[in-house]
Amino acid sequence: MRLRLFAPAVLVVAIAIAAATATGASQASPAKAQADALTVWLMGDAQANWPEAVAAATQSFKSRHPGVDVNVQYQSWGDYKTKFEATLSAGSGPDVIEFGNTDVPKYSAAGALSPLNRSDFPNSGTWLSGLTKAGSYNGRLFAVPYYAGARGVIYRTDQYKAAGITKVPKTLAEFNAANAKLMKRFGGAKNRNYSAVYFPGRYWYAAMSFVYDYGGQIAKTKGGKWVGTLHEPKALSGLTAWRNVARSYSRANKTGDEAHPQQALVFAKGSVGSFVGNGWEWPYALDPKVGNPALAGKIGAYPMPSHTPGKYMPTFLGGSNLAVPITSKQKALAADWIAAFTNTQNMTRMATGGGVIPNTTSLARINASKPTLAPFAEAAKYSWFVPSTPNWANVESANVLQTMLSGILRNPAKTKELATAASERITEILNAR
Amino acid sequence: MKDETAVPLAVEPALVPARRRRRVRPGRAVSPYLLLLPALAVIVAVLGYPLYRLVALSFQEYGLAELIAREGRWIGLDNYETILGDRRFWTVLGRTVAFTAVTVGLTMVLGTLIALLLARLGTFMRLLITTGLVLVWSMPPVVSVNIWSWMVDYEFGVLNWGLAELGLDYFARHDWFVNPIEGFAVITAIVVWGAIPFVAITIFAGLTQVSGEMVEAASIDGAGAFRIFRDITLPILKPIFVILASLSVIWNFQVFSQIWIIRNARPEEHYFLLSIYSFVESFNASRYGLGSAIALVMVLAMLCVTFVYIRQMVRIGEID
Repeated sequence: MRLRLFAPAVLVVAIAIAAATATGASQASPAKAQADALTVWLMGDAQANWPEAVAAATQSFKSRHPGVDVNVQYQSWGDYKTKFEATLSAGSGPDVIEFGNTDVPKYSAAGALSPLNRSDFPNSGTWLSGLTKAGSYNGRLFAVPYYAGARGVIYRTDQYKAAGITKVPKTLAEFNAANAKLMKRFGGAKNRNYSAVYFPGRYWYAAMSFVYDYGGQIAKTKGGKWVGTLHEPKALSGLTAWRNVARSYSRANKTGDEAHPQQALVFAKGSVGSFVGNGWEWPYALDPKVGNPALAGKIGAYPMPSHTPGKYMPTFLGGSNLAVPITSKQKALAADWIAAFTNTQNMTRMATGGGVIPNTTSLARINASKPTLAPFAEAAKYSWFVPSTPNWANVESANVLQTMLSGILRNPAKTKELATAASERITEILNAR
Repeated sequence: MKDETAVPLAVEPALVPARRRRRVRPGRAVSPYLLLLPALAVIVAVLGYPLYRLVALSFQEYGLAELIAREGRWIGLDNYETILGDRRFWTVLGRTVAFTAVTVGLTMVLGTLIALLLARLGTFMRLLITTGLVLVWSMPPVVSVNIWSWMVDYEFGVLNWGLAELGLDYFARHDWFVNPIEGFAVITAIVVWGAIPFVAITIFAGLTQVSGEMVEAASIDGAGAFRIFRDITLPILKPIFVILASLSVIWNFQVFSQIWIIRNARPEEHYFLLSIYSFVESFNASRYGLGSAIALVMVLAMLCVTFVYIRQMVRIGEID
């Protein structure tokens, strides 16, 4: 039989293919760099929430640079860094790229971004300090602040009323009491799917707020080295308080996160009393295409209360920056598009239409004056941020916090062991060369 | 994953008996090799070069800074030392081997049963089942895994809904991925489901080679169905079984997209197989040298697993 001799050859080739494709599993095809076109990578958020700002920026850019085409490509948070690194190795890629503010230090430090001139950009004197810090490395600016977001509790006013909650909770204890009332009124045997507060297990931005509220932190520097501190007593109290909320008042997926499924859409389906969300998730829940417009007028928001009376729980100061990769062949044009995109007019569009916090404090009044935005602007008074080291992005990529959180929900008795393991992993990653 | 079966007949010249070859004119002797050249060139281009790059990378420090400079720093065996000294690597390796053993075992058994069923069915039903198998086979993994992930979805999945409707309240809003054993059961189902068609159709094709007279003679001598399968079908089809099992080992050892997609591109560490571990180290942590070394260690581990089979096959060839 021919087959018998032919078989070893089949195996050799199959193994060779396995080896050759082992690390190339999802190489992205690099974006083509055309001489007369600018490639811009923005996250899908811009497409969904402020497309008119993108269009206006491109229009004003084109009026100044006739003949240069702008090609905006929308990316997803899950794989944009992998795609970007693939284009780096190919030496081609986008001319403008949006980074999450926790990711940008890694790339500034590695020399992947070209330095920018602060004075080339509008409102640079009044930029949000958190985003400016995220976009700077060794005193130089590498990424322009784009927008920020603060999280608050988005809730159903009608359900709160029906459960006899007359005032929004001002302390964590009141928050828990309100959730207990909601569970009693709507949950349990009446509807086992009901969550008084929808809290997916891997939603680490919101879970870590508890850690910071109790005086803990993710990591600290000690003698020039980073040390993971999630297993320290204060952090553990925070994790315990979070565990109590997530286990008692939420029926959300323990291994899901805030985007799988989109929590605003689960909220829109009705079996949810509240969730911890960004300002723009409120209008998203009412979106006629994916949400439920009938909830208009039945939604409110308040800052997440602290366990210390009179304070709010620190919110994660999330946001984005815009950068020009070192591989761009049109750096000046790219910077000019960023300037057009982040001018006062477009920032106003983003704040009013998208519900985000604009990149400049000079526009703070827009948010403060709108009832749908004010609670989030108010919540931003107390905030926390991830350890500021270029290696932080690798902690996120390794899913260290998510793995710990879903582990704790599955096995609450092992909270301390899981936190210790996470701390060790964080120490290891943050101190890696 | 399945398209690797199209393989050029690279062993053909060896089959020409030496005696006959001598009588052939010298010009003729070169032509088989000339005919092989294009195929060889393609293989070297698409496999050889990436393979060389992979090996080279595994001896280098290659992070983000090196990626931008497009030049690595040679560090000898450091990457390999890091891997072999890492407890997590050994856990992942053990998990990968166990996963491969279970999925290959299930694929072979279920594939064989379906092939035996096909051999006994009438034309219409056989056509129906074969069509089903080919449809499964031709579906790209990204599409099928997404559909599977909807089916096992926590909030709205049809599996939880169906089980709850049957009265199993435990499954109302059951999270299939909290417990890694349940999670791997789902992943195993997806992988085996996708791997069965190739195995079943190949074995069915092989079954047509088993002569009816032999089976008839055996059953007249009083052999039952199992005995016939063990003593007649199995020995005749042994080469096919061996090659199918080896190919399945190679494919399932490097399962990637099924886990990656169903865990939303952010698998927890207890869902890491070697392929994912290598990818995460390379692309998420931007340590491309280390990731390449893991990939190579993975291939070496795979060679160890398949070595037994390859040796056996070479032996079968010798007897022939």
